[in-house]
This record gives sequence, C-alpha cells and structure tokens, in this order.
Amino acid sequence: MQPFRPEEVIVEPGSELSPIYRNLKATLPEVPFTLLDDAVLKNGHGDFSARDFGSAKRKLLLTRHKGEFLKKCPGSDGQVCCNYFVINFASNCSMDCSYCYLQEYLADNAALKVFSNVDDLLSEAEELLNKHRRFFFRIGTGEITDSLALDPYTGFAREVVPFFAEQPNVLLELKTKSDCVDGLLSLDPRERVVVSWSMNPQKVIDLDEHGTASLAERLQAAHRCQEAGYRLGFHFDPMIEYPGWEQDYERMLEQTFATVNWRRISWLSLGVLRNTPALKRTMRIRFPGSRLLTGEQVLCPDGKLRYFQPLRVEMYRKMLGSIRRQAPTVKVYLCMESKEVWEQVFGFAPSCEKELGSELANFGF
Amino acid sequence: MDWLEEIALRDQSEIQALLGGKVIKEIESNPRLGRADKLKRIKEQIRRARFPQLTQAEDSIRARIQDLKLHPDIKVTVPPGLEGGSLQVEFSASNHQQLKSQIAKLAEAANSDSLAEVFGILAGSRDV
Repeated sequence: MQPFRPEEVIVEPGSELSPIYRNLKATLPEVPFTLLDDAVLKNGHGDFSARDFGSAKRKLLLTRHKGEFLKKCPGSDGQVCCNYFVINFASNCSMDCSYCYLQEYLADNAALKVFSNVDDLLSEAEELLNKHRRFFFRIGTGEITDSLALDPYTGFAREVVPFFAEQPNVLLELKTKSDCVDGLLSLDPRERVVVSWSMNPQKVIDLDEHGTASLAERLQAAHRCQEAGYRLGFHFDPMIEYPGWEQDYERMLEQTFATVNWRRISWLSLGVLRNTPALKRTMRIRFPGSRLLTGEQVLCPDGKLRYFQPLRVEMYRKMLGSIRRQAPTVKVYLCMESKEVWEQVFGFAPSCEKELGSELANFGF
Repeated sequence: MDWLEEIALRDQSEIQALLGGKVIKEIESNPRLGRADKLKRIKEQIRRARFPQLTQAEDSIRARIQDLKLHPDIKVTVPPGLEGGSLQVEFSASNHQQLKSQIAKLAEAANSDSLAEVFGILAGSRDV
C-alpha cells in the first residue's frame, strides 16, 4: 500500500494543542503545516466539486468537531438494520474507491478532515455507555472515513482503544481497507475491539479500490491483529458481479480462512454494490472507464441501485455456501438488504433490529 | 444514452456499431411499424442488450406464466426489475360462480411446476 502523504496540513486555531496535532507533526515532518482562521476555512477548504473530489483528499484539515460524535447508523429505508452506532472521528478518506458513497454524501463538504477534540469524543462515549449500562453497543468508526488509513499519522487508535478496552458494554469496530495496524499491535484490546476489513478479490482492488492495500496485505494485517489479541471482522461488501466472479470470490475466501483462525472471527457481512443515480453521475465523471457502471442494477424502493434481486440472492447464496463449507459456524449477516432477501438467502429474517444487533454483539465473543 | 454508453463500455464497442446492429436495423426498416412503435421496440432492444441477465429472467418468468394458460381475466405479474420477490395476482369476478371458477383455476395453477419455477427464479434460482 502506498503511504499517504498530504501536500499540506491545514490547522484550525486551537487544534494545535491536541494530541492528534502532535502525532501529525511527529510523523509528517516534511509536510507544511498552515494555521488558518475560521473564515478562510469556511471559504476555501470545504467546497469541492465532483471533479475536485480527488484533490480534496490531498490536503488534510485538522479541526474541531462541532456537533455530536456518536450517531446511530442511518442504515437504509425499509432494510433490515443491525443497530449499529458510528463515531465520526474524521471525514472523507485518503483512499479513492470508484464506488465510494462519500463522493455523493460529502459532495458539498469534501475536505479530508481529522477532528482534533478526541477528549470530547471520549467524554461523549463515556456518558452514553454509562447511561445505558444494560445495553450492549456496537460502535464503528468507519462510516465516513477509513478507520485506520490515517492512523500511522494521527495515532487515533492509540488515543481511543485503551478507553474502549475498559468499557464493559461495548465492542468497537475499526473498519479498513488499509494495512495500517502497527499502532494497534502494542495495545491490549481486552476483547472489546474488532478490527475488520472490507474485502474484494485482487482484480476488483486493482480496478476500483485505488490507493488501498492489496488483498494479501489486508490478510497479513488481519493475521497480525489476530495474533495481537484482536477479534476480526470481514465485510465482503461491495460484492461485484462480473464474468468469473464466483471463482475469484471463492479463491478470496479460501485465502482468508487459510490466513486467519475463523473461530475468532466476530462476524462476516455480505453486501452487493450499491449506488444511487446521483453517485453514478459522479462515478461517470471521476471514473468513466469503471466497469462498475455497467452492472445489471435496478432502482430499489430505498432509492439505491442494486443488482436485480434474483441475481444478488444467487450471489449471496453462493458466497454463503462457500463460507459455510470453510467456516461452518461463523456469524454472517447481510448489509442493507430487505427482509425478503434475508428470507431468500438464510430462510429467515431478524424480527427486529435489536435481535440482529444483540446477536452480532454476542458473536463478538 | 446512458445505457448505450454502458453497453459500449462493457462490450468494448462503439455506440454507432450498437445502433447499426442487425436487429435495430430491421426495426428501423420495418414498413409496418409507425415511428412510436419503432422507438419503443428499439428502446426494448437496447434494454435487452443493457440488462441481458435480467431480461432473460423476465422472459423465463413470462414463458412459465404463459404455460399456466390462465383465463385472460386472471393477470399474473412480477414487479419491475423483479425487485421484492413477490408475484402479483389479479382477477375479477362479477358473480359467486365466476369467483369460485377463478379460484379453482388459480388453485390448479398454484400446483403446477411452472408457478413453482417462477417463484424459484424470483428467489435467485435462475437456472430452473
């Protein structure tokens, strides 16, 4: 994986006192740091058009997060939800997957940001976890950024893992397409941290997951995390349909289960390529040669384009069959799919989001 | 236009070549078709080229529904894009006897292999 080197780090006044700033300064000595005031930040460093989305990733903005850090994962209208919470410690991503929904979601606010007020994040998390001690939370940090791609520079994991490792009612999921796990290996996760990878065959990585770690690098990083005591998760999402996909995905599963101990995998998820008409327009501009634009997708009731249902159910079944042959008892769930699809794939659907959420939490152990 | 571009990208071909293909040329030169019909059929052909697996599944379902030889008053339809996995059955009856007759025909159809295969296709078994 190519190391990330921003052209510039832009620092909001006040953020230079944070541990994240200290870490950035120490790990990016050759990168210029610029201190800017609020007005300049608002006018010059938050707005990028679709064509500029890529250039937004080349500068790193260190700023305070003004709203709440912790949110319920929005899921998707009418789809089975897994009762997941998200912490947005950063916004946008240094990598550049052609299908990334952030191209649409952050279209008006594309700057690559890391939030400096980690102390506020931890206070907020502590308050929530203390207030609901009888509820078991699954919290992820990889919704609008990659959980670990910037970790060699920000040291974010080092700031938060010890806190979550002490909590009795939470699993923290760090979701990534990177191999940036060095910062995790000396920490003790105490069964409270799941490191998970978004997975695709190398062919898909080469064509559509620009700047990410190779499949072999991801698996090697997963192996190292497992050795260091972390639970693992794998998200086979977005699955891409193309001639010969079955063999490539089968081979990827074989590599996965040959590299890590599946008995210590907390969960696997499956999901097919999803986009929206607006995201597709952006993909046309930014990645006009991507074959992902040519999939047999139809518009679903939640406004997302997915492969037509019989095709994606067939894909899920094939993947599930392959997983079951190699890792018979590992927990598998579908991401952003309807009850009908769950029933067609598994023969059942969770009765409510709490059921799936608590099942996944239990499988974390 | 998006569909044509996507077919060209997928098949590594030119849009001009797609529009100059045999089937489209035949539609264009068919003297029995009016302008609107030609446009409709060309659009359907482009859809078929853009979504070959989907249209094949739709054709398979359509053929099996035809196999049921249902009375024209009984309509069996699938959702657009086959999304949702359910079959919609509509029928009407103007008297009790007719209702009983329609239900009997439907019950007969429900026991047929064809209808089971339709549900199989909707549920992801496209090679039934």
